[in-house]
Amino acid sequence: MTLPTTPSDPDLLRQMMDGDEDAFTQLYQRRQAGVYRFALQMSGSQTLAEDVTQEVFIVLMRDARRYDPDRGSLSAYLYGIARNHVLRKLEQDRPYVPFIDRTADAEEITPQAMIAEGDPLSELTRGEKIQELRDLILSMPARYREVVVLCDLHEMSYVEAAAVINCAVGTVRSRLHRARALLLDKLRAARDRNEDAQEVNPARCFA
Amino acid sequence: MKCDGFEAVINDLARSGIMDAVLRDEALSHSASCRRCAVRLADERELTAGLKALAVASAPEAPARIEASLLAAFRQQHGALPVSVESRRGANRWLYVAAGIAAVVAIVWLVSLTISRTPVSTQQQKPEQANANAAVPDQHPQQNLKPAESTIPTEMIPAEQKRSVRNPATIGAVSGRVKRPAGGKREADPALDSNVEAEITTDFFPLINRGTGQLDSGQIVRVELPRSALMAFGLPMNMDRADERIKADVVVGNDGLARAIRFVR
Repeated sequence: MTLPTTPSDPDLLRQMMDGDEDAFTQLYQRRQAGVYRFALQMSGSQTLAEDVTQEVFIVLMRDARRYDPDRGSLSAYLYGIARNHVLRKLEQDRPYVPFIDRTADAEEITPQAMIAEGDPLSELTRGEKIQELRDLILSMPARYREVVVLCDLHEMSYVEAAAVINCAVGTVRSRLHRARALLLDKLRAARDRNEDAQEVNPARCFA
Repeated sequence: MKCDGFEAVINDLARSGIMDAVLRDEALSHSASCRRCAVRLADERELTAGLKALAVASAPEAPARIEASLLAAFRQQHGALPVSVESRRGANRWLYVAAGIAAVVAIVWLVSLTISRTPVSTQQQKPEQANANAAVPDQHPQQNLKPAESTIPTEMIPAEQKRSVRNPATIGAVSGRVKRPAGGKREADPALDSNVEAEITTDFFPLINRGTGQLDSGQIVRVELPRSALMAFGLPMNMDRADERIKADVVVGNDGLARAIRFVR
């Protein structure tokens, strides 16, 4: 008895290059979420993430022969293309004031999502903390941001992240160390600000 | 292990990454004995938990419209590739034919429109000719045109538009042959002759279906058409010169309808 086997990425890529639409669809569905999330977490912009995802797969469609399996996985290759596009677009948009679109998130709230499970206050606090962390990551320099996104949010190994960034493994390790230290500093600073704001001066109350 | 060594492995420890078991035990025992490193490890673990929560909370996928547009692009890219050169040439040929027919129809319509707006000249019908043609309405258009074309009075044609109708009797004869006109059959107009001598014309091809009336008199108008128009009349065409234009004479009746066409080189 033979077990049904899932085709590997290189197999699907070969079939795709032969014009197999199903192979392309399968490959897209397998890899689009990671690419989209990476672009979104790197930029904070849904529009940019959509553009980048589209461009990544168009590049794959047109220049599939440029992928070299000896240099890394197809996933790393796609992340690498996405990274280049994101950095290029962020560089282009640098003169503009960064704008985080909250309305897009608000539109996606479903009735189910509005029902808080457990303690609503702790859910709110948890949500605020996640948002705070997201904003802090976005405020970091791109070279630190990308290692946090790849290694911590996408759970890539140092070797995989190095293949995406096209640098040495040691560089990824040291950058991640520095990035996490930066994040902790910013979190501590934010926490201190919140505690200062919550302090009450009793002298003013009796005045 | 000292604090420096602990700092070097703290990320792997906090992230539960793959690390040497002995090194891991040494780091944990150091954190148990060093308060500063213990706090540091707790912070790192809290950060790891927060990042994991963020990863879980933000796990969206690309909108479905992106997949749809990519699939459309894929179909477009791969739909065009498998077509062989031969079939592409065939498709081009039909394209040329269609373009030629469309061009001829457009030209004829424009010419008809222009002429129908000009006042009808003093040309008179020849009743006996009209009756003769009316008597054979179901004849082949070639036969229907044949006697009518021969009655074009050349004196009615403006000098600049005058072209020698090589042999009026051949008007309407559908033929792919390209004939060199016999100079002796032309009118004795030296200026016209010098112009016409350099030209090679085809036979006239009828443009109107049977039963659409007969031609008593009319004009020959020189026009320029896309070279692909040749193919519409079954004439051979050099594909390399498809972009060029070719001269043609259109016989236009007094009713404004174009009756026949011949190509000039």
